[in-house]
Amino acid sequence: MNTLANSAAVAPPGRVQMLRKRYFPTPLQGLVSVVSAGLLALILWKLLNWAFLSAVFGADGSAADCRAAGGACWSVIANRWRIIFFGLYPYAEQWRSALACVAVVAMIVLSCIPSFWRPWRLAAVWIVGTAIYYILMKGGVLGLRYVGEEQWGGLALTLFIFVATCLIGFPLSIVLALLRRSNLPVISRGTGLLIDAVRSLPLLAILFAFAVVVPFMLPGWLQTGKLYRVVFGAGLFFAAYQAEIIRGGLQGVPRGQEEAAMALGIGYWHRVGKILLPQAMRNALPATINQFVIGFKETSLVIVVGFFEILASGNAAYGTGEWTFAYREVYAFIALIYFVFTYSLSRYGAYLERRMAISSR
Amino acid sequence: MKHVRYGLGAAAIALIAAGAANAQQGGPTLKTVKDRGTLLCTGHDGSYLGFAEVDDKGAWTGLDIDLCRAVATAVLGDPAKATIIPISWAQRWPALQSGEVDLVVKASGATLSRDAELGLQFSLSYYLGTTKIMAHKSLGLTSLADADGGTICIPAGTTQQQQIASYSEKLGVKLEPVLIEKTEELEQAYFSGRCDLYTQWGPVLAIARAAKGNVDEHDILPDVLALEPEVIVMRPGDDNWVDIANWTLSALWFAEQEGITSENVDEIKADPPSPEVAKFLGVNPGMGTPLGLTDDWAYNVIKQMGNYAEIFDRNLGQGSPYKMDREMTALWKDGGVLYPYLID
Repeated sequence: MNTLANSAAVAPPGRVQMLRKRYFPTPLQGLVSVVSAGLLALILWKLLNWAFLSAVFGADGSAADCRAAGGACWSVIANRWRIIFFGLYPYAEQWRSALACVAVVAMIVLSCIPSFWRPWRLAAVWIVGTAIYYILMKGGVLGLRYVGEEQWGGLALTLFIFVATCLIGFPLSIVLALLRRSNLPVISRGTGLLIDAVRSLPLLAILFAFAVVVPFMLPGWLQTGKLYRVVFGAGLFFAAYQAEIIRGGLQGVPRGQEEAAMALGIGYWHRVGKILLPQAMRNALPATINQFVIGFKETSLVIVVGFFEILASGNAAYGTGEWTFAYREVYAFIALIYFVFTYSLSRYGAYLERRMAISSR
Repeated sequence: MKHVRYGLGAAAIALIAAGAANAQQGGPTLKTVKDRGTLLCTGHDGSYLGFAEVDDKGAWTGLDIDLCRAVATAVLGDPAKATIIPISWAQRWPALQSGEVDLVVKASGATLSRDAELGLQFSLSYYLGTTKIMAHKSLGLTSLADADGGTICIPAGTTQQQQIASYSEKLGVKLEPVLIEKTEELEQAYFSGRCDLYTQWGPVLAIARAAKGNVDEHDILPDVLALEPEVIVMRPGDDNWVDIANWTLSALWFAEQEGITSENVDEIKADPPSPEVAKFLGVNPGMGTPLGLTDDWAYNVIKQMGNYAEIFDRNLGQGSPYKMDREMTALWKDGGVLYPYLID
């Protein structure tokens, strides 16, 4: 109360006063402020100068032009952007890869809109979206030329790996989380063991095992393409972490609710589907969004088993005699692409939290 | 006794003949490749300059890639029937052993452990890569012996690290090492002057210098720290497949030796100057059948891929941005160490 009365007594400080109070309370602190601001300005100026003022834009810029200008050489992007986006996909067919990317992004955006949050609508969107992607990329039907998975690459492949990982990992994580709280010790302990085992291995080791070791163990009729094995491994890894997040969410739901539901004679699926999971998901939302963001960035690890995802494509984009010096520009461009995706994901997460907060107020 | 000896001789001849009959159908890998209709080769997870890189249209180019296409042409008659699978360094041997690729052409050296422990098969060496040292010209070094007390950029965790250590110890030269893993950072460190010297596998070094654009400001010292013979690597237990790889390389070198190029191969085929060339180009029979291939396989390879000089030139040599010299990777008659097998 006292502070309230005080602030009411003093006239609201002007902007200049605020600045002075915050940054120049004593001469020493003032000096520190000036030096840091100067440094910041210098760095920003250098960055601006490098990225825009003395940069070379456009596909006509040659390596020699770039060296003369001394700034960023965005010509490498203008000349090689197709590799970054589409990797090794046949040049004449790259429109298919582009359309497939659009389909996947549209699918993700649609499933983020609250009015699509009905099980059958979500299922329809994802099945149709994935089917469109798959048919466009792989071809072999509808007069589209067949393109093997070894030629998929760039952003299109990164998106595929991310979406497929989520598609496998998310439902699996719910199943694992529910199994983990089963009353049968064999099931709950067994699931716990599986989750802990997967979590105690590095993702790199899992990817390598699924890409390289698994084919030696599987019988012939179970052999699938390397891409699908690796995606399954990544999905399993995602599920193990996400299951623990959902379990945390489930533990946040007061026990009395489940007991009350049982007392009312509500069946298991109803209890889980209508009472427990919705509340658990709300509790787990920040961590879940975090997991999705991590999942998106971890797609870059598939490079070790020889996939041409966006980072490997970037390496190929500057990896030619003419452009070897321009790796910074390529990496900056790829960072921008990653940023667009992960930042939208986390903004969407923030929106969801606000939206869900309404009903718990 | 005499009878026994004759008997043995007859048996031996029968065995050899049986072996030859076997060879005509080819080994299991050849059969798999023919049935599949494509040859599965190693690419790279990104780009390895000059050996496997991606052009503006997303198609593979490079010396290793072209050699793979040459084998595909020999076996299937069409370089487009080579399917290049992106594969990382660590993954190449498991990929070969699990049948994900039919051969590994990936700047891979022939080593004891690969040969004897992993049990892999090698072709002839198609490239001789030496570990060398680059120095800033302003230092005026003539060899590493002058560089006592200098700093040297070394790729971390590679064989070059051991090679430079033992080589400088042998010379009694004390060097200050700067270990960096990523090639771009390593080159940045050298070109920015943080290191006086830079040691690396020869082609990477020459390419770095060429790509930097100021070739005259950097010397590549004459010291050779080590030689790595690069070979095509194959699964064990398929001699026919090793023969095919060797004879594909041999054909590229034979054509270079005889002056047969993709340009003039048709003229020479129409009027072969010698019986060997006639056989080589499939005018006279016998070039392909023993290997399980068609008799004109070598003609197809030269016609569509060019001879070794042409392949080298467009990927690493004067026709490429790297302008590398053949050095040791030249034919015997030009002072190099490459030579074709005889065609009899």
